[in-house]
Amino acid sequence: MAFWQLTRLRVVYPIVLLFLLFVDGSLMSGMGGIFTAFPWHILPVLTLGWLFYAVQFDAETDMPFWLYVILIGVLFDMYYTGIFGTYTLAFVSSVAVMMQLHKVLDERLLSGLFMFLVGLIVYLLVTYVAGFITGVSSVGLTAFMLFEVMPTVILNVMIAAVGYYPVWSLFQFLR
Amino acid sequence: MRKIFSSRTVVTIIIAVIVIVGLIAGSNWWAKRTNTPPFIQRFGNDLAGGVSRVIAMPTNAVGRTANSIGNLLDTFSENRDLKSKIDEYAQNKVRLQTIEEENASLKKKLKLQATLTDYKTVSAVTISRSPTTWQSQLVINKGLNSGLKKGMPVLAGAGIIGRISEVNTTNAKVALISDTSEEANRFAITIKGDDGDVNGIVTNFNREKNQLIMGQVTSDNKIKKGDLVKTSGLGGIIPAGIFVGTVTSVTKDDYGLSKQINIEPAADLGNITTVVVAVSEIGAQ
Repeated sequence: MAFWQLTRLRVVYPIVLLFLLFVDGSLMSGMGGIFTAFPWHILPVLTLGWLFYAVQFDAETDMPFWLYVILIGVLFDMYYTGIFGTYTLAFVSSVAVMMQLHKVLDERLLSGLFMFLVGLIVYLLVTYVAGFITGVSSVGLTAFMLFEVMPTVILNVMIAAVGYYPVWSLFQFLR
Repeated sequence: MRKIFSSRTVVTIIIAVIVIVGLIAGSNWWAKRTNTPPFIQRFGNDLAGGVSRVIAMPTNAVGRTANSIGNLLDTFSENRDLKSKIDEYAQNKVRLQTIEEENASLKKKLKLQATLTDYKTVSAVTISRSPTTWQSQLVINKGLNSGLKKGMPVLAGAGIIGRISEVNTTNAKVALISDTSEEANRFAITIKGDDGDVNGIVTNFNREKNQLIMGQVTSDNKIKKGDLVKTSGLGGIIPAGIFVGTVTSVTKDDYGLSKQINIEPAADLGNITTVVVAVSEIGAQ
């Protein structure tokens, strides 16, 4: 493999995806005082944001995208929870919903952010339901929507909006 | 009318849901049964822990700076309060040292090897925290190599924050007491009431009120708001005398048959940069 091929999207994309998986955990640890200040429970979900960019900018045609989605889900389950299935399903279903929406919506920034918002809600709801299966859920749906879904969506959509054009340029450069 | 899903898609989705629910329930059951995860999972976690350590350096530094700025704003009033407490603290420390020495010599005379209050500590640094809805877990940089075992209590700041839930070779996961799963916060505690001790276990965590719950209490001993709660050491793995929190209220349970004691945890579960794992000398044997 020549050196220039290392700068192709299919090489750079999974490396960044893996990197962001750990950044999410580090942010949660480093900023835990802010993110989990009672009664809030805010999650940094940069990994899902990176998957959103791939859907929005049609990058899935350049690489084995679904394989990356499943692998990142399995790694997330293994490293963060030790229980397999929950986050693999959450990532897969969120990306599947975003892809379906992408077919309907246009390419503008606001349409993209709406798509990410729906994807985020799907992601969080899957994890909420999975909590019932494993018997660890302890918060009612209203409190969950108010103190976790709402702030998480606001934070992550804002981050996605800030990174939107820089990431679009990066994808153009790497293609 | 156009069909949204073909029958093949429906069958695939149903099978996928069954497989995933089975996988979640099965791996949850397996994780509870085993002390350490299978070799491949452990190897993967050790590798991931290594990468995480490097990435954690800058983000932890940013987090620490943000916390420092927050602390700086409270410095004046905090300093005034602390000054008033420090004389009492010094007096207590001297007294504790004297009593510890006396205790050690008495134990020697009685030929007691170790009791429930004896424990060693292993210090560790938090390298990651799961960005998850449930099962809030920390990843710390000590594991099997440092002698950690599943179930050991983990302390930070003022008191207990959780228990070791999974041990890999070079790192371990800590399930926080705010987690409602059974292995996280079901430990034996005792409260010193006016008429005597009340023993029991933590039965739940109320996330909406940020309180630990000690349920099914039938003792008539009087417990009031502000009473201190500590671990009782019963069960062997968790040493006695670790501070858990303070009583905020005592209520009747849903059926009105027994009491429920609500406890505010002493430790701040938000900022946890370094932790101490308490290794009971009895449990470790």
